[in-house]
Amino acid sequence: MQKKRWINLFLLSLPLWVGLLSGILAQSFLQPELPVLFQTDLGIAAFVFGGVVRQWALFAFALGFLVSLVLVFLYYWDIRSVRQAKILIMESLREGEQSRRSFLRRLDHEIKNPLMGLRAALVNLQESQAADERQHAVENAGRAVARLSRLLADLRKLSDLGERPIERARVDVPDLLQDAVDAAHVLPAYDGREVSLLIPRVPSPFPSVTGDRDLLVLAVYNLIENALKFTSAEDSVEVRASEDGQAMVIEVADSGVGIPEEDVPKIFEELYRGSNTLSTEGSGLGLALVKRIIALHDGKVHVRSSQAEPRGTVFTIRLPVTKRG
Amino acid sequence: MSPERSTLLLADDDPTIADSLAPFLERAGFHVLVVSDGLSALEKAQAHHPQLIILDVLMPRMDGREVLRRLRRSHIWTPTILLTQVGEASERALALEEGADDYLNKPFDPHELLARIRAVLRRARPGERSLSAAWLLTATDLSLDRRARRATLDGETIDLTPKALAVLEYLMTHPDEAITRERLLEAVWGWEYPAGTRTVDTRMAELRRALDDDPAKPRFIETISGEGYRFIAHVEAEG
Repeated sequence: MQKKRWINLFLLSLPLWVGLLSGILAQSFLQPELPVLFQTDLGIAAFVFGGVVRQWALFAFALGFLVSLVLVFLYYWDIRSVRQAKILIMESLREGEQSRRSFLRRLDHEIKNPLMGLRAALVNLQESQAADERQHAVENAGRAVARLSRLLADLRKLSDLGERPIERARVDVPDLLQDAVDAAHVLPAYDGREVSLLIPRVPSPFPSVTGDRDLLVLAVYNLIENALKFTSAEDSVEVRASEDGQAMVIEVADSGVGIPEEDVPKIFEELYRGSNTLSTEGSGLGLALVKRIIALHDGKVHVRSSQAEPRGTVFTIRLPVTKRG
Repeated sequence: MSPERSTLLLADDDPTIADSLAPFLERAGFHVLVVSDGLSALEKAQAHHPQLIILDVLMPRMDGREVLRRLRRSHIWTPTILLTQVGEASERALALEEGADDYLNKPFDPHELLARIRAVLRRARPGERSLSAAWLLTATDLSLDRRARRATLDGETIDLTPKALAVLEYLMTHPDEAITRERLLEAVWGWEYPAGTRTVDTRMAELRRALDDDPAKPRFIETISGEGYRFIAHVEAEG
């Protein structure tokens, strides 16, 4: 590698050596006052200039030096760019590997808890004679199976989303938000709660978006479910829509305790659980699904959250508005 | 022959699944033959002529899909339920294309499998090609070309979204059968959806509009209150 670099440097400095050699030869073997003429024919125009040998020797040396200087500069610039590209690739590979490892670590955690519950329930079923204890063990096993099934179903959704094309139809936004709010009624966390749906009356009719209605309902539903899970009965949850001519803006906001600052950049990662969500039910894939669905619709989702007054969390989805016509 | 005495061939390479499902199905009154690879499934199906085959997709020696293809190529039309392990959309589409009578995603409730077995056996026409294996389905003036993914009504092509077309396909391959919204969701959408009931109803409304089918006086799709839907027109298979 080192040897190759020296060879390259020698080749790049060849113009310098040629210039130097020409200068020495001119100085040593040509008469000092002999005029030298350069003529360059450029079609119509012809340039003629002359000089003496000494000047020509100096000119050849200077030209060779400059050409070599430029070539060496370009060479090192190129080496630097390649090195920077290599560093970027290595960093991205390292990040990919880290993300894969952390996903596997989280998956291990998500599986082992319900599996542990299932094993304990089976032991209780085997060893207990009391009917109520056996019934309790069956119920626990059922809950563990339900949790594993939910995790598997969400993992399947995530993997399916990358593989199948999504439907591209005109979607009525107020209608889709109403469906998502209605669907949330069955959630245990909805009990005794109210989710406000705020749709502006102007413009009318409200602009639509293009995409897969079912997936968009799922994305908004996941955000509502999230808001209900991490807030108490006294808190408010709002779903609102607006448009700014360029994009449809859908927000799911709550007045809950907020997300710790260090968790905010990571909450859309697959199976990530924030420090205040460890004991909460869920697959840990809900927000990752939201991000994937919105990206498939050429949109963006982001979150802002505050744990200090005024506290709360707002998830914002921006989707391109369907062009009229 | 009542379904309770029917012989089922269950092919699954996972012993924990086969060992748990076989006694469950035996308790339900079936005689169950169990095999753990695709080639054995093919041999047993040809030798024992079961009334129904339950095939896993990913199996050693020969996958379930290939078993089904070979059976159909030999004109063996035994009703078959395909158990898809991965549950990908492409796999479900292929399951239909290759003439599986029904399919069920793992993990499933064994009672759901039992319900499917009974439904498939009920509509089976012994020795005849099933509607699920036909490329062209017709019901009065409605026809569905499954290969071209096109439906026509009275000779005119009707404009349907891919999902609505898939719903129509599922209904026409399961005529005269009460189909719940949950089952349609699993079969056509492949996932559980939070707003599942409304999701199905929205597509059904689109389908009815396209078919000019009045829910009060249906020619094709009947609503079964509290249950789901039923395709009521007589369906013929061609091709």
